[in-house]
Amino acid sequence: MPTITIDGEDYPVDGEQNLLANCLSQGIDLPYFCWHPAMGSVGACRQCAVIEYKDAEDPHGKLVMACMTPVKDGGLYSVQAQAAREFRGGIIEDLMTNHPHDCPVCEEGGECHLQDMTEMTGHVQRRYRGSKRTHRNQYLGPFINHEMNRCIACYRCTRFYRDYAGGEDLESLGRNNQVYFGRQNDGMLENGFSGNLVEVCPTGVFTDKTFSEHYVRKWDLQTAPSICEHCAVGCNTAPGAREPGNGSGAILRRITNLYNRDINGYFLCDRGRFGYDYVNADSRLKKPLAASSESLIGSTAAPGEKVHREIPPEQAVARLSEQLREARNGKRRLFAIGSPRTSLENNFALRQLVGDDHFYSGLGERDLELLHLIDRVQCDPRIHSPSTPEIESADAVLILGEDIDNTAPRISLAVRQAARNRQKRQARQLKIPLWQDDSVRQLGGSPSPILLVGTGTPAMEEIASEILHCTIGQTAAFGAAVRDCLCGREPAAGLLPESQLELARRAAEMLSSAERPLIISGCGSRNGEMIRASAAIACALAEYGESGSDQCDLYLACPEMNSLGIAQLSAPDSGRLEELAAKLRDTREGIPTTLVILENDLYRRGDRRTIDTMLSAADQVVLLDTLLNATARHADLIFPAAATAESEGSTVNSNGVAQRFYAVYEGTGFIQESWRWLADAAADDDKTHLAACEHVFELTAALAKEFPALAVLEETGPDENYRIDGLKVARQSHRYSGRTAIRAGEHVAELPPHPDPDAPMVFSMEGIQNPGKTPLQANIWSPGWNSNQSINKFLRGIGGARKGTDGGQRIEREPQSLDEWQPGGGEATSASGNFTTIPLYRMFGSDELSARAKAIASVVDEPYAVLSANDAEERHIRTGDLLRIRVNSESYPVEARVSATLPRGTLGVPAGLPGLESLDCHLPGRVVVEQTDTGDTP
Amino acid sequence: MEHSNASSGNTDAGLSDEEKREIDREFSHYEGRASVGLEALRIVQKHRGWVSDKSLQAVADYLEIAPAQLESVATYFQLIFRQPVGREVMLLCKSASCWITGCSRLQVHIRKRLQIAPGQTSKDGIFTLLETPCLGDCDKGPVMQVGEEMHRHLTEEAIDKLIEQKIHKHKKNDADRSTD
Repeated sequence: MPTITIDGEDYPVDGEQNLLANCLSQGIDLPYFCWHPAMGSVGACRQCAVIEYKDAEDPHGKLVMACMTPVKDGGLYSVQAQAAREFRGGIIEDLMTNHPHDCPVCEEGGECHLQDMTEMTGHVQRRYRGSKRTHRNQYLGPFINHEMNRCIACYRCTRFYRDYAGGEDLESLGRNNQVYFGRQNDGMLENGFSGNLVEVCPTGVFTDKTFSEHYVRKWDLQTAPSICEHCAVGCNTAPGAREPGNGSGAILRRITNLYNRDINGYFLCDRGRFGYDYVNADSRLKKPLAASSESLIGSTAAPGEKVHREIPPEQAVARLSEQLREARNGKRRLFAIGSPRTSLENNFALRQLVGDDHFYSGLGERDLELLHLIDRVQCDPRIHSPSTPEIESADAVLILGEDIDNTAPRISLAVRQAARNRQKRQARQLKIPLWQDDSVRQLGGSPSPILLVGTGTPAMEEIASEILHCTIGQTAAFGAAVRDCLCGREPAAGLLPESQLELARRAAEMLSSAERPLIISGCGSRNGEMIRASAAIACALAEYGESGSDQCDLYLACPEMNSLGIAQLSAPDSGRLEELAAKLRDTREGIPTTLVILENDLYRRGDRRTIDTMLSAADQVVLLDTLLNATARHADLIFPAAATAESEGSTVNSNGVAQRFYAVYEGTGFIQESWRWLADAAADDDKTHLAACEHVFELTAALAKEFPALAVLEETGPDENYRIDGLKVARQSHRYSGRTAIRAGEHVAELPPHPDPDAPMVFSMEGIQNPGKTPLQANIWSPGWNSNQSINKFLRGIGGARKGTDGGQRIEREPQSLDEWQPGGGEATSASGNFTTIPLYRMFGSDELSARAKAIASVVDEPYAVLSANDAEERHIRTGDLLRIRVNSESYPVEARVSATLPRGTLGVPAGLPGLESLDCHLPGRVVVEQTDTGDTP
Repeated sequence: MEHSNASSGNTDAGLSDEEKREIDREFSHYEGRASVGLEALRIVQKHRGWVSDKSLQAVADYLEIAPAQLESVATYFQLIFRQPVGREVMLLCKSASCWITGCSRLQVHIRKRLQIAPGQTSKDGIFTLLETPCLGDCDKGPVMQVGEEMHRHLTEEAIDKLIEQKIHKHKKNDADRSTD
């Protein structure tokens, strides 16, 4: 490790990093703009100037840009030298000549990197009296505000958007003093990572438009570490909440990235960043509701749907208690349905309440089988579930039938970086440091091989070196051929056309010669053969590959936040919804039935008729959930459940990493965690001790005890006795304002903060503020560094893990090798039809909760379906025509779209899209497509 | 400088066969289609006088690149015109030597003579005045480039003469065309 001297002090430094990165990781305050820890240096802003001395005799040294200077052992540098400080002051003064004096009305104010750097250089007086250049701003869609006058032209936005995330519609336009960062025309930013511009921009050019709707300063937000609930990647987030001045309860105001090296690093996708607003939706359940027996005049409820009225919480709890008592006395049957979109603790509480035999996972047979299959595959010792940095270091990637751009967006951003590994290897050979971003990119050259098989999306296809468009069945067959080639066998003839066999041979060659091959698949195609094929390829690579490792990276994307967690709670052959439906139909005992549903909209799990029948078979349907949804409309009793940001619990992500999220604020009205409602209703004499349960960690401990794989849950976070200097962790910053005044309308005295029964944290300012001391502090702040770029102060080296935490814990499953896979036939489908559906995924719309956030809802597509160009031509269907998808007795009107790459005979149906949710259970499957708008068709 | 022989019209249409042929010829000189962006814009401008939004879109489509990427090129280069210009674009140098030798005075003269400020086009649609940084003829300042011609050691009289000449030329051309 080289040692350098900065201003007379010796520092051991990272020779792979430049001088600026090393200064920052040593805690030296050196101002900068254009450098970014994930994007390297371009030397554009000239802000990080320091003096480099030739040797100890050199009296003056020379001015260099720290971000463009490699460190050399024994190097002598000065950050504090007068010449360097004057130069840096001059740069800031120059940048500020055009920057408006609008900090008080700018949403970046208080967490602005430009403010911080201006302070740091000591530029406190404006001498420039001339006019400033001004720009016209653009409309960039519902997520991002644009205020170009604030721009200091550091080029970070286009470097992130275009170079890092592959966006094509944001560019630097014009030149000189007039350079403009924007789109060619007004319009929504098309890239799914556009929200990161808010954090990447060092000042207020790009700000969060959803946050503007209910803006407060960073120092007025209370926060806690949380986990994004909108897919199974498990990105860490720092949601911010604060009560409004009108006396009503706190609202969730925004999401920012919370650095976790192994998962999200510095970036989030737009679904994760802007999906939070569902918790503030008008349809949010805030009070217990009971189905009303009287019918209302003028009610808009459809047949079978119930009309609800509010009831006091005690009454609601008493009703559930009564039913539980009847069940204990054998006068009532009791069944419960859990959910993969809520914590393990909530699911476990429900399972304790009703007993193992009566607990169902809330998933249909196909989905549950896929999850158990993934769980089983990940137990194989030859398979390694890669972290995000490991994915980024892959040098050959095979993606089998998984649209990660939309099912696991953060992973696709990592794959995009992996595509550059060949270029980076070339740079290493040429002795170009990898942080020399522009130089490395200038190398051009061919990207690392990425083979995409299945139905791709344009964004992924752009980075793929080869693409094979085929049906789900063909994808599995292709996987089998690749596996055979890897094992040195001739692939079975006749299953694939010769061209595909040839591609399979090339794929096998590309993977086996790679140093770090990566296979990606998942639940997206909802086909077990595909997952088995990807596992077989990974196993073959581990055994026959030339990487020298006896493990191969295999990323399997799960659909929901806690999918893999729910799979741990049930045995592979139990807990299916179909089984429950059969039991509900069986009414031989002739006693009433109660069905308790936990945070699950069943109408997304099965088709309408099946779910209608199920729900009507139970004479009492009890629902605990956050939003009014189709299931809620059929429930007899509804409890308002806390959303992720309002509760604490554990989840398991697609990689089998267990993580803990903490309550950011308390839900308004009567909202509380589902497990608390259940504990309230549970009987005191209950042998499961649920009624006596007062803290979430009691459930966590019980879970850890009951399920050996989940024993690591106890290590996912500090326990309730955790203190630093005798203090808990503060959720509010030390600058939190107005806490006496905000409730002055109700109480003149300042009330004590609510106690937090679950976490060693407080809902106030009194406690540990320093993010360097505890991983529970999500307000990333350091003196002089108010923006979230202060994260560099709390990492073990730039891009390293956060100090004081190892992130999540991998659940410990029994290692067990997979049997040799024999490709089976295609999956049998019972329904007949003229098209085979393929599920398509949307960044906005496929996920249930985020689609209810106001800004996202405004860009969710109307129901549509995609036909192949051949089928469309044969049937004289054009884009925009109205079609009807019929399956069983259900019918779904959709608008036609035509695709040149979809295989003939298949119909792409967006999964989970509002209006088509109940079609999900038929994806993939056979459906009938009819034209409703016959018009002039011959 | 190929914009001076442009005819107006056709600014919104797709690429003509001739434009495509000329662009195709450029492909052999560059590595990727995207690299031809600047040449393609010059070709389109030569035929159309300036590059409208629709022209830019047509070029982007033909090169198979994002319009924003092409816009980035188009707005970087001062001599790609994204707004309509006159038939004669006058690029008056405003760098140090020309400033010393009196370009500001000449600019005032042109402004009075044609009623146009830098960035504007005269009412008859013949002249557009633009300021430009150094044209590289510092010992012969003040200088101005009009079309592909360079005019050196300029004086008010020389400019008047030049303007007369150009007006005469275009009037004559128009008259010839209408009699055809």
